[in-house]
Amino acid sequence: MTSTAPTRHTVVPTEAPALLLDGITKTYRSKAGAVEALRGVTYHFVRGSFTAVMGASGSGKSTLLQCAAGLDQPTTGHVMLGGTSLHGLTEVALTKLRREQMGFVFQAYNLLPSLTVYDNVALPLRLTGRKPRREDVHRVLDQVGLEGKAKRRPAELSGGQQQRVAIARALITQPAVFFADEPTGALDSSTSRQVLSLLREATDRAGQTVVMVTHDPVAAAYAERVLFLSDGLVAGSLDHGNPAQIAAAMSDLER
Amino acid sequence: MFFLSRQTVHRNRSLYAGSFVALALGVFLLGLAATATAATVAYHGPAADTVVVKLPNADPPTTARVVLSGEDASGLQVVLSMVGVISGFITIFVIASTFAFAVASRRREVGLLRLIGATPRQIKRMVLGEALVVALAASITGAILAQLATPLVLAKASYSELAPVKLEPANPWVPLAIAVTAGLVVAMLGARSAARRAGRIGAVDALREAALEPPRIGPVRVVFGVLVLAGSIVLLALIRPGTGEAIFPLAMFTPMLLVVALTLLAPLVVPLIGRLWAIPLVAWTSVSGRLARSNVVAAPRRSASLAAPILGISAIAGSMVLTLSFAADASTATIRETVLAPIVVTAADDSPDLRERILSTPGVAVADGAIPLSLIRTDRDTADLEDAEGIDPAITTRTRTITPLTGDLGKLTGKTVAISKEVAGFGNYHVGDKIAVTFADRTSDQLEVVAIVKDALDVNPSLFVPTELARQHAPAATPTRWFILPAEGVDAAALTKTLDERLAGTGADAVPAEEWEQAQSEGMRKANQLGLILLLGPAALYSAIAIANILLMGSLQRRHEFVTARLLGATPAQIRRMVLWESSLVGAVALSLGTAITLTVGLLIRHAMTVGLTDVPITVPWVTLLSIGTICLLLAIGAALLPTAVILRHTRPSAALQS
Repeated sequence: MTSTAPTRHTVVPTEAPALLLDGITKTYRSKAGAVEALRGVTYHFVRGSFTAVMGASGSGKSTLLQCAAGLDQPTTGHVMLGGTSLHGLTEVALTKLRREQMGFVFQAYNLLPSLTVYDNVALPLRLTGRKPRREDVHRVLDQVGLEGKAKRRPAELSGGQQQRVAIARALITQPAVFFADEPTGALDSSTSRQVLSLLREATDRAGQTVVMVTHDPVAAAYAERVLFLSDGLVAGSLDHGNPAQIAAAMSDLER
Repeated sequence: MFFLSRQTVHRNRSLYAGSFVALALGVFLLGLAATATAATVAYHGPAADTVVVKLPNADPPTTARVVLSGEDASGLQVVLSMVGVISGFITIFVIASTFAFAVASRRREVGLLRLIGATPRQIKRMVLGEALVVALAASITGAILAQLATPLVLAKASYSELAPVKLEPANPWVPLAIAVTAGLVVAMLGARSAARRAGRIGAVDALREAALEPPRIGPVRVVFGVLVLAGSIVLLALIRPGTGEAIFPLAMFTPMLLVVALTLLAPLVVPLIGRLWAIPLVAWTSVSGRLARSNVVAAPRRSASLAAPILGISAIAGSMVLTLSFAADASTATIRETVLAPIVVTAADDSPDLRERILSTPGVAVADGAIPLSLIRTDRDTADLEDAEGIDPAITTRTRTITPLTGDLGKLTGKTVAISKEVAGFGNYHVGDKIAVTFADRTSDQLEVVAIVKDALDVNPSLFVPTELARQHAPAATPTRWFILPAEGVDAAALTKTLDERLAGTGADAVPAEEWEQAQSEGMRKANQLGLILLLGPAALYSAIAIANILLMGSLQRRHEFVTARLLGATPAQIRRMVLWESSLVGAVALSLGTAITLTVGLLIRHAMTVGLTDVPITVPWVTLLSIGTICLLLAIGAALLPTAVILRHTRPSAALQS
């Protein structure tokens, strides 16, 4: 981890961060006792950045993502999204923030099987009460390379195509932050490349922020920065690493 | 969200086809009950037979039409309203559990919607919207079917015991509108709790692999469950002897309340009883019983939904069957206690010179031939047809038990009447009060109450008048039954024989009192049976479909689980066994609760009805009760096993690896 510098001080944000985690801890209580999934994570996700979060199983990376996206409440600490604190928001306020500011892409494609591709993509807009414009929907479908597939249902598509529908659905609301949890986990390498390029494009072209949890060094190499998590703490980071460097850093961490 | 509702209903056809069938059938039954009721309301008795009674003291003064022969459709009306209530109840019940089930099996899908920005309120609206889509289609279908079937049902009902008249279909719009509205309301009520629960699903549920529900149960629900449970027990304990006709509705409503109570408490109760039943199962089987137990116990809400329709119908049908049998037992005891004479002569309507023949038979000491008549008792604002007998109290009190509670039967001469306690209760009459009556010859009079006597409704009428008064107003009426006391030293059996010989050719028969009593209670049981078939038939058919439906839904939803188990090395036979034990376990739990309700209702009502009676026989309709249980269980197992077998045959284990 020679190229890794202490996290908090490397990036001095030039503007308000897209996403700010301030001293996040998360403790799960169960019959077996308390489990500390996060033990104090502080980090700024810069606007327009593509960050990969890596770590061994149980390092807390999924919990981090869920807390950051407001899906779960941190035990202590604050999450700020584009200047809004998630702390103390009602479920409805949180939901509205989610659908206006966040997009989600997960390993399981999470499409509604009953809806066509078009309707799946248009759904977030309908949920906000807006009538989706046809050209908007078709534009994002073009963007992810699914022109002509609007009338299909998810079951008629390949895994990679389904994942691209999920990305189109996240793109349609033009969210400030993309959350991706193992988005390529179920895909082969060439479809993985397409999906990751789409995420890369979102940051490069539209200035959106991407936070991606992954365990795959190849996927992580698409990010400009990799954040390493270990035992609920940020263990270091690596900028512009190639897959080999990232893999080496990972195995160092696990040692 | 309506757009989404329509799409999801389309997609989750297997989940909603069941709800559709259940609701359409429910609305069909409600619609039939409504159109048939409309036909009975539209029916007016033949003018020659109808008496118009003035009710000058009513507010405002009015008149009432009473059909003297009693040949109207009121019996059918009562049955129809009860059919409506049962159908409505079972429909709410089935729809509620179907929707609860549909929501429980779609946790991840709902979680996903929450994730991409649906608010809890939008989710609630979506579930309600789904209910509305299904309910609209189902209600209209049910109403159309009901309208088509109405002429058929009316043709069957006409000239029957319940409606000895000809019934014609009435204007269908109002009754069908009521049925459709009822269907929609029922569906919305049923869907409401499911919708509320769906609204509580969090966005994070979309990310959880296991769709296991939280086992919590709200304190409000527990409190309500306990309150309803306590309420129905109190209601049962308050029943008093001589409840008479009210037994039917009581036997119907109290188990309904108990079913509601146990359903509210089901997430607590079902795993508990499931564990109990699983003890022998786990001991007996290897892995399949153990898996079945885990599946039933780990998902209490899901198991409760599956158990609900079995619990509902087994409890209601069981309670009604047992209660009515016990009611017949109590009546048998009452008849035995009331008839003192050892011989009964039953007469046809027009037996000539019966009185002379009986009285001139040597060995007859006392012959109690009361004159049967109908009269209209007028209250402040009601006019009711009552059955009465003209008696000579000196004779009748020797052949039958007529226990005066207050007053003196000896004063029954002139314009007087002795009334049963039931009638005294209806009109709040006391000894010395005057009752306004209208006789069949359309003359009205005021009769003074001289005594209030104990109810013995299966032998004695509700009013006694002096013989002369009866003769005066019903000159053509002749006794239809005679209670005979032999003279001292005369053998009753020998006298019966002599009487029978002397009555040959008159159409009258002399039989020992025990034989007559036997025939009376058998007649009663037969009438009860008809009532039960009418009331429970539609509900049972309905529940059968509901039970099959929900278990079918349950198995179809588990394709992935079955296929994964195959991949892990389970043989199809092992999976089938697991499903067999699981559905048996759910069925056993539901039937245990149904049995508990049946026993509670049956025993408490029996206790109340037999207070003060001695020598009450106990008749438990084992065959019927066991059949109800067996059919429920077989249906449950069959409906779970069949789709499982089909799924297993048509999928390879490798399917688990594809998403």
